[in-house]
Amino acid sequence: MKFTLNIWRQKGSDERGRFVTYEAHDVSSGMSFLEMLDGVNQRLIVKGEEPVAFEQDCREGICGSCSLVINGIPHGPDRGITTCQLYMRRFPDGAVITIEPWRARAFPIIKDLVVDRRALDRIMQAGGYVSVPTGGAVDGNVLLISKDQAETAMDAASCIGCGACVAACKNASAMLFVAAKVSHLALLPQGKPERTSRVKAMLEAMDREGFGSCGNQNECEAVCPKRISVCFIATLNREYLRAGVVEPGLPAEPESPHAESV
Amino acid sequence: MARPSNHFQSSVGSKVVMALSGLGLVIYVIFHMLGNLQVFEGAHALNGYAAFLRDMPILLWTARIGLLNLAALHIILAIRLTLRNHRARPVAYTVREYRQASFASRTMAASGLVLLLFLIFHLLHLTAGVIDPSSVDRLDTEGHRDVYGKVVHAFQNPFIVALYLAGQLGLGLHLNHAVTSSLQTLGLEHAAFNRLFKAAGPAIALVVVLGNVAIILAIFLGIVRG
Repeated sequence: MKFTLNIWRQKGSDERGRFVTYEAHDVSSGMSFLEMLDGVNQRLIVKGEEPVAFEQDCREGICGSCSLVINGIPHGPDRGITTCQLYMRRFPDGAVITIEPWRARAFPIIKDLVVDRRALDRIMQAGGYVSVPTGGAVDGNVLLISKDQAETAMDAASCIGCGACVAACKNASAMLFVAAKVSHLALLPQGKPERTSRVKAMLEAMDREGFGSCGNQNECEAVCPKRISVCFIATLNREYLRAGVVEPGLPAEPESPHAESV
Repeated sequence: MARPSNHFQSSVGSKVVMALSGLGLVIYVIFHMLGNLQVFEGAHALNGYAAFLRDMPILLWTARIGLLNLAALHIILAIRLTLRNHRARPVAYTVREYRQASFASRTMAASGLVLLLFLIFHLLHLTAGVIDPSSVDRLDTEGHRDVYGKVVHAFQNPFIVALYLAGQLGLGLHLNHAVTSSLQTLGLEHAAFNRLFKAAGPAIALVVVLGNVAIILAIFLGIVRG
């Protein structure tokens, strides 16, 4: 198979970017999208040109590293997968494919298609954890959690933090990411003691990082490789309203055990 | 010590206030439509209804000032959030494809602006009588202000009809996304009710627009006469 690629090239965060057209030859239909890009880069290296920088790691859809907007959709045309799980047989032979990085003020471009997603880490550091005292392992079945509750918490916990929700959102909002993290912890007994301060701190961090606000367009849900439901955004809103009613005077930023790593 | 008011300064807090003020306006729009449907019962019913409202000046003006405040709050927060959202993506995508975001949800700012312009025109036209002073303060045979005559006179003019239909288009688009979105923002979500919440926006938009358009077209097509 043969493809024409329009790829966003940008030397650094302060440089101006532009699209450069490349031809991808000898692509097999069983190649993943990233393997196809590897082939393009191999040719560029042989020619002595700078290869296209893109982020990748596990190549099996669990690490959340790959981050390409392919023909206007984060992670490409298929639902419920990451870019590394996308195969070239999904495209007609000779297709023109446009590849862009995640675009958001909170995700500055480092190089070409690689963006800095540490804003999501800083939101996690603000409250996406449970403060567990160290000690011996807790006995099994000390905390009883119903099957339904465990499953719902797991649905939220399946977020891999890739940021596709931000990339797809018209407002570049990180609501689905924050919603998944807040819901996951608020649903489980281990997370309940800190739920009030957590939701405030994480939403404050989201605003501080320059993400937009939620427009309830549900585009995030449609591109999420883990198919996380927008129902969790309602849960997040409910948690936030609850925090305002239950403990309106509570400081949003607790003593963070991760403060030294910020 | 943080004050409770700070809670509503955040993006989610602002959206909650927008949702509540918006829902307040939606309730008004529904009753406004229902009240105006009395045009089909004739001059006596509509003019009597108008006189009934004017007989309670304190309630009337409290409602008017309340509605204006709600609208102002809604618009100020909308502008603030929209500016913030524009800043959140300084470089736009070259190729953009939407998977499930509805047309209405992507044009909330535009339909809101259409609605605001229409609202200003509507208030100047039928409430204040600035745009067409010819039929203001005329009295009917029972000594009430002739609202019926004013409305029938207005919607015989094709330009006015076109403007009002455009306003209804803006209203329908806005409500279509607004109601469902507000329920989500207020955290209303339950497996048993989600389909109801999803349908609430389009259903309310359809009922309100159909009711209003029925009045406009019935007069324009001569079904309701002066």
